[in-house]
Amino acid sequence: MTTELSSARYAVDDLAQAMDLCFEKGWTDGLPVVPPTEARVRAMLEAAELAPDKEVAFITNRQVAVTAEKIAVNAVMAGCKPEYLPVVVAAVEGLGDPRWGYHGPATSTGGAAVLVIVNGPLSRSLDFNSGDNLFGPGWRANATVGRAVRLVMRNVIGTLPGALDRGTLGHPGKYSYVIAENEADSPWTPLHVERGFRPEQSAVTVMAAESPHQFYNQLSSTAAGILTTLCDDMRISGNVMGQPNYVVVIAGEHMKTIAADGWSKADIRKFVFEHTQNSAAHLKRTGRMPGAVKPEDETALRPVVASPEDILVVAAGGRAGSFSAYIPGWASRRTSEAVTKLIHERRS
Amino acid sequence: MARLEILDPTVEARKQPLTYVPRPDSLKGKRIGLVENTKYNSDRLLLKIGEILKEEYGAAETRMWRKHNAGVPAHAEILEEAKRGVDVVVAGIGD
Repeated sequence: MTTELSSARYAVDDLAQAMDLCFEKGWTDGLPVVPPTEARVRAMLEAAELAPDKEVAFITNRQVAVTAEKIAVNAVMAGCKPEYLPVVVAAVEGLGDPRWGYHGPATSTGGAAVLVIVNGPLSRSLDFNSGDNLFGPGWRANATVGRAVRLVMRNVIGTLPGALDRGTLGHPGKYSYVIAENEADSPWTPLHVERGFRPEQSAVTVMAAESPHQFYNQLSSTAAGILTTLCDDMRISGNVMGQPNYVVVIAGEHMKTIAADGWSKADIRKFVFEHTQNSAAHLKRTGRMPGAVKPEDETALRPVVASPEDILVVAAGGRAGSFSAYIPGWASRRTSEAVTKLIHERRS
Repeated sequence: MARLEILDPTVEARKQPLTYVPRPDSLKGKRIGLVENTKYNSDRLLLKIGEILKEEYGAAETRMWRKHNAGVPAHAEILEEAKRGVDVVVAGIGD
């Protein structure tokens, strides 16, 4: 096992100068970073029992190998605790998966961020937030793991905003975009178990994603009632011509109402798939689909995803409030799909 | 003496050997390959370019391939057929 660190080194007088140097070198996301000293980087790698030269991902179009050492350096800069590194590593593995298709979502004018959904026992022991203020600030694990992923994209893979990241608008999730599923309160099968892992395993799901869209229904006391509001909002969102994935985040009050009706995640997916379809005529009239409206377009329906399985349902968010959210994926079918990777707590 | 040393978080992309095929002196009689990226109107744009290359530059023929999607390189089948069947390739995007 190689233990030498191969990164170039820069000498500075103190912490303030180190932070300034990181700004000057263009290594930050615009916020100050924790200076990546050898001791901190080594602590990261040791916590995950990873050799520095371990190749975690290879980004084909950039011909860049992403090593554990470089992930650790960027995770230090992002403010991660050493024990978070396996989560960052699993997320980066996901970005390197051909099904995620790095080039498209990383560079596109569509401005996708990397949504990271953490499941399993590690999400709780590392204190990832799955509750109040789900997408907001305040939790070190959520804030720094997502930031580390973005710093790896920037510093290792070269996805620089304005150069190889050409997002027209982007969104705040590009700083960090990490949530956990509230498995403790959820009546449903956790996302990672639906995607092939065991409940006692921990996993991350990465999806190229737009920002979260919140919807509100304080009136309905049925699953169908709440999801009707969701579908009315979601029907016209993202690339309505057909996307790879959506995430639907069901928060506490809605979760209880939907579960009380006996609905499973599969029931939710089926309902949402069926009630978010648009007529070709509507898509043409609203400038989303090319061509003149033909009579048959009025009854020709297009779903927003290829199948109900492409809608990822996650139980998360605060216990109070009649709000839930949906998150459109990026681009179109066959371009980038959500990928779930096992988190290895220890490996060599 | 410096009190602190920090590690560089960046890497250089691996160097790739790139060899350019010599540009033809003329397009007269040449077979033109058109590779469209699936974006709206990219096929129309390339067909128009193909027509211009035939009418104004004397190209012999055009042939078009469609990539799997805009975010990936042209797939192996396109590359193999292009190697065998055309002299010049024009790739372009729509939107």
